[in-house]
Amino acid sequence: MGLFFGVVTLLFMFSGAPISFALGSVAVLFMYLFMPASALNTVTQNVYEEMASVTLLSIPLFILKGAAIGRSRAGQDLYAAMHVWMGRIPGGLGIANVFACALFAAMAGSSPATCSAIGSAGIPEMRRRGYSPGFAAGIIAAGGTLGILLPPSVTMILYAVAAEQSLGRLFLAGIFPGVLLVTLFAMYAVFRYRKEYRLAEAEYTRSGTASPLLVQETFTARQKFEMMPRVVPFVLLLIGVMVALYGGFATPSETAGLGAVLALLLIAVIYGVWRPRDVAPILTATLKESSMLMLIIGMSLLFSYVMSYLHISQSTAEWVVGMQLSRWVLLATILFMVILLGFFLPPVSIILMTAPIILPPLKAAGFDLIWFGVLMTIVMETGLIHPPVGLNIFVIKNIAPDIPLNEIIWGVLPFVLLMLLAVVLICVFPGIATGLPDAVMGATAAKS
Amino acid sequence: MSHGFTPSTGPGNANARAHVQIDPCTPRALRPLARVLLWVNQAMVILGMVTLLVAALVLTYSVVSRYVMQASTDWQDEAAVFCLVAATFLCAAYVQSLRGHIGIEAVAGWLPESLNSMRLMLVDLMSLLFCAFFAWKSWALFHEAWVEQQTTSSSWAPPLTIPYGIMAVGMTLLALQLLVQFSARVNALTKSSSGVAP
Repeated sequence: MGLFFGVVTLLFMFSGAPISFALGSVAVLFMYLFMPASALNTVTQNVYEEMASVTLLSIPLFILKGAAIGRSRAGQDLYAAMHVWMGRIPGGLGIANVFACALFAAMAGSSPATCSAIGSAGIPEMRRRGYSPGFAAGIIAAGGTLGILLPPSVTMILYAVAAEQSLGRLFLAGIFPGVLLVTLFAMYAVFRYRKEYRLAEAEYTRSGTASPLLVQETFTARQKFEMMPRVVPFVLLLIGVMVALYGGFATPSETAGLGAVLALLLIAVIYGVWRPRDVAPILTATLKESSMLMLIIGMSLLFSYVMSYLHISQSTAEWVVGMQLSRWVLLATILFMVILLGFFLPPVSIILMTAPIILPPLKAAGFDLIWFGVLMTIVMETGLIHPPVGLNIFVIKNIAPDIPLNEIIWGVLPFVLLMLLAVVLICVFPGIATGLPDAVMGATAAKS
Repeated sequence: MSHGFTPSTGPGNANARAHVQIDPCTPRALRPLARVLLWVNQAMVILGMVTLLVAALVLTYSVVSRYVMQASTDWQDEAAVFCLVAATFLCAAYVQSLRGHIGIEAVAGWLPESLNSMRLMLVDLMSLLFCAFFAWKSWALFHEAWVEQQTTSSSWAPPLTIPYGIMAVGMTLLALQLLVQFSARVNALTKSSSGVAP
């Protein structure tokens, strides 16, 4: 039965049908074939009851907050401020891009939106300053992926719901791994900058041609402080949202609503984006993404319900447990499967479709599901920057069409390796993920 | 996060509006329906914008009323859920009109054009059948909630006909949108196989 279910699902998914309708069709087909006739009468009720969760329905509001920030000039301003403040550090421009991506990702919560907003200013500037196109593209593509790790991440909201874990704890668990990735990316940016700088120096000595990379750019203190007024409010928004959430002032859904309202107010005050014709594209983009995503979520939950009713998820999980793999082999196998699924599926579908199967064996093997959520998220992040889907690669291609695709892919690969290194580090030192939630919310509730 | 991201930035983006138009392959008999759907979908987007903003404001009010006015917050979560259910379902047909519900297009590049057209038609048919079934069951659920005067289990206890009705209307519009798109695919395929330019 499980095999039959899997084959039919693959057939429907790879037919090219919208993921939501494909999952819903498979669920209804198996309900019709193998479940009591009355089950078909409760299809819509099941979907509604699963979707009518305040936590899940905070997703459109987090998307609205991200769209408001992503479609304003906040990204460019943030980038410009980082550039000015880090101008003196060797490789500072690369680090500025990584930091700008991280901050923007935390505010907007969307990887491609981060790539687009920071990359549209950052890539031309890095290339103008002599950075190789692949390196510039790699920094932005990888920096964008932080959007699904740093809170408030839509991916993490879904994982929290699917794994029945505390969302607040999961958000906190993503922060230090996010900082670790930012540090690794920044270190690589410095290393790569030094390498390209040495090559430029050698070229200058050999042919007398001076690369723009050799030009030192300095900024005055006045220039640095002039950048602050436009950036500080957004950083305050970021901090305010976190304080509201963790200070116990608001639930995650209230935080989403509050964040969306504050983001709209900020872009109205700072950028004058308040007229209906300015705000309408933000709301339309939010509706497009939210409706698509929420239907996938609703139908994925129906799909999971059918899998569970027919004991497919349970028997598959039991089969995996019965293989008696050592816990680390089990973890590696599951993460490898997530990487493979990332070739074709967006994170939302991967989480909701696989959670009922992979989480019980992991729990049985004694893994902390909050810790695993962070690992799974980082692994899914790599799916955003590796072929064949690699959404961020195509966003970069869209904003810098003259950079050949293979150059972007080569530029991105070192960052994929760094992300896998982060996964290893978090396995060796689980406290990187669990330390902060344990410190803030107490250690006892952490273990699942 | 999602793969539905459109990398166009900046206010004043008119992309969305520019893409919504009647497919020239739509059969003549269904063109009035296609035109009506175009208008209805635009109206639903406006309604969706309003519900989205109302949801955000209601949740903000929830925080403010609790800490500033010390008022109880018994209805806000449910009201926000209803608003967001409306935004999700009522705009689903609009998103479909832009082909915005994402799928895995991995096989598209491997198939010859004729087979690919056939695949796309079958995909639309499958989607149509599923959405029509879902719409039918949503109306049945709405009817049941109406007859039995069902309410939610909260202290506010609003009628369940509100979210069920929204779901039924949204899925019906989605099914109709798919019917128009499916018929356009069939028409295009028929014309191309008989050598007539669509």
